[in-house]
Amino acid sequence: MLEQIARVLCWLCIGEIAARSGLLPLPAPVTGLILLYAELAVRGKLPEDLGILADRLLALLGMLFVPAGVGVIAHLHVLKAEALPILAAIIGGTAITLFVTMVVANWVGVAIAKRREQAPGKLEGAVSDVNT
Amino acid sequence: MSTLSQLTGLTWASFADKPVLETGATVFAFLAATRIARLGGNHPLLNPTLLAIVLIALGLEATRIPYETYLRGADVIHFMLGPAVVLLAVPLFRQRTVIRASARLIGAGLAVGLPVGVLSAVGIAWALGASSQTILSLAPKSVTAGIAVGISEQIGGLQTLTIVLVIMTGITGAVLGPMIARLARIEDPRVVGLAMGIASHGIGTARALQINETAGAFAGLAMGLNGVLTAILLPLACGLLGFAR
Repeated sequence: MLEQIARVLCWLCIGEIAARSGLLPLPAPVTGLILLYAELAVRGKLPEDLGILADRLLALLGMLFVPAGVGVIAHLHVLKAEALPILAAIIGGTAITLFVTMVVANWVGVAIAKRREQAPGKLEGAVSDVNT
Repeated sequence: MSTLSQLTGLTWASFADKPVLETGATVFAFLAATRIARLGGNHPLLNPTLLAIVLIALGLEATRIPYETYLRGADVIHFMLGPAVVLLAVPLFRQRTVIRASARLIGAGLAVGLPVGVLSAVGIAWALGASSQTILSLAPKSVTAGIAVGISEQIGGLQTLTIVLVIMTGITGAVLGPMIARLARIEDPRVVGLAMGIASHGIGTARALQINETAGAFAGLAMGLNGVLTAILLPLACGLLGFAR
């Protein structure tokens, strides 16, 4: 387990160095995430301890935002003064995003399914080709 | 409380110098918030993070502990956010076969949902006269909070405001997602999950899991990919437009 904690901190630290030195315009944890994913992809499998560590910590993810989130009390005046644009942007923007994404993705999904329906002939052909 | 301080010479302020009070209070507040949410059937409106933030804010108000003092004490919890975001690589890696099997569907959803998510919010806020700081804090609103905070800092938004806006977005998406799916007559759980993960990150993912497991898996996956891609693209776009610091 200690090894996995060290692994996570190591990638996070590299991400921090990349961000502070201006090498990458990415938040340090995101660089760490990408590096960890790349490492797992190269290894091809997930160390068991790392999976447990991730499940444990991510189960508490909601709590980890609390200290920073409380800081909004210093900006309550912003929320109050700009309540209309903020609420409109959040509610309107989220509704638009949901609707457009669903319609487009559904259309693509239907198109893929249709092509697959036509493909079985081709696929069987390919399989028999391999067999012969 | 005042009699207690007179008897023991203790004040809340002296307690606040040790991280145990702030850390303990944060854990207790979140535990209480989780219980309240469970009593309410885990309705998206009863978000435990938002409830805990309100509880702590009220507690600070009552004890007159300044926010900076609290944050210094609760820094242990705040710090864990970084490693937790790195560990988001694990669920993404577990879903790699799903990513490969539905690559085109996921790609299409992200290609549309990511820019629409940012531009619709920024556009509406700008049209209604929001300040540029608020607009920048709003831009990463659809991204999971841990990543959104980093993006917000990078492009010159207010981190703490971003967290609250992100949670509000998550709640909105969790409530609206199934309604919009019905309205648009969409039944494919992959599509519904994908859209909810892109539009409303973890809170939308939790709601998508209640629809079914497929919707939940696609939502979690969409949340992770959307977070990473937005972190790469949004600061770049802001830089190109000369918007960033």
